[in-house]
Amino acid sequence: MAHMAGSDDESKLIEQSLSGDPEAYGALVNQHQKMIRAIAFRMTGSLDDAEELAQDAFLRAYQQLAVFNGSSKFSTWLCRIAINLSLDWRRRESRRDEIYSKWAADAVSENHPDVGFPDELSRRVQVALDLLPVKQRAAVVLTIYENQSHAEAAKNLGCTEATISWRVFAARQKLKRFLKDLAHEQA
Amino acid sequence: MNKRELESILKKALPPEISSESLEMFPRRLVARLKHNDSPNRAVRNASLRLAWAFGLAACVVIVFTASHWRGRMEAEAIPAKDCLASIKLVREMVAMFPNQVCAIVEDDHGLHLVLSDKDDVPASPPLYVRICDGKHCSSFVTFSGQEIQVAGQQVTVLSDSQGGIILEGNRFVWSSDGENYAEKNLKIEAKTLGATL
Repeated sequence: MAHMAGSDDESKLIEQSLSGDPEAYGALVNQHQKMIRAIAFRMTGSLDDAEELAQDAFLRAYQQLAVFNGSSKFSTWLCRIAINLSLDWRRRESRRDEIYSKWAADAVSENHPDVGFPDELSRRVQVALDLLPVKQRAAVVLTIYENQSHAEAAKNLGCTEATISWRVFAARQKLKRFLKDLAHEQA
Repeated sequence: MNKRELESILKKALPPEISSESLEMFPRRLVARLKHNDSPNRAVRNASLRLAWAFGLAACVVIVFTASHWRGRMEAEAIPAKDCLASIKLVREMVAMFPNQVCAIVEDDHGLHLVLSDKDDVPASPPLYVRICDGKHCSSFVTFSGQEIQVAGQQVTVLSDSQGGIILEGNRFVWSSDGENYAEKNLKIEAKTLGATL
């Protein structure tokens, strides 16, 4: 996914946001919402949850804007906030699912059928992603969909590069199994 | 399936299309929320503000404690000309920090403490300063009309009218600022408004 470079316009919008101009921040949100909402969707598998999560991520970023020091791209910083919020979200969801396991099972089976995927491949890939442990999924989202290096992903997820490599490796093995029918169809 | 084939499949998978209406509304909703209640670094600022208040309160408690020791126990019944609670600034800033949640700020032998409602359901009204001495101990508090405060071992209901009159009702007394009182002899009560609605 393409990122906005740290342009002058973006820096200006960040400055204006810091001086308390929500409209300027709205413009930043507009520029980055597709990326953040896509990350949130891949992590949650639900459009509603993704929207809520994206909103939380942008609010969190706004509250911590002064901490952003420009050492990374603004989009990378936003991505870090969104992915970490989604990990917390998954933890909360898992706890809730344990308590309400019966309803959770129903929810999982109802989660994907028709949330507006452009094609069957996209739907099946999302189902496969949802079957991955959440940390492996986050590693896949960052390295494959956000084109981050293992070093960048490690920084964003607060772990070592070796851990990311292992998670991506393990995720690939599982995804190959989950998607083997799809590979035959594609061939 | 090799690594390249897998990545090709994964990259072909697109998230659902987000409607143009949703793309347009999402930033607007966020901006509306920000205008309503958020500002950059609010969390950081709140933490600093709370820390500053904690220091302020601690200082106030130390001053009160020191002053009460210095004056001696025999003077416990005397109403101090100036104490922390009578400061409208302190009350205003407390209310600003916890809008519509402050039931009372109580100062007693244990120091200053804040009584907060779980919800922001305390109606805005002029703050009322009340001091009750029972001959041995004194408690003072700032509260708002309609609040029930547990103080000096009893439940005290505080009411005020539109003319600024104050009525206090406790287990052992009824006290009114216009002089209609029914209270034990050793109870000494003072009450006054601390200004306009905060």
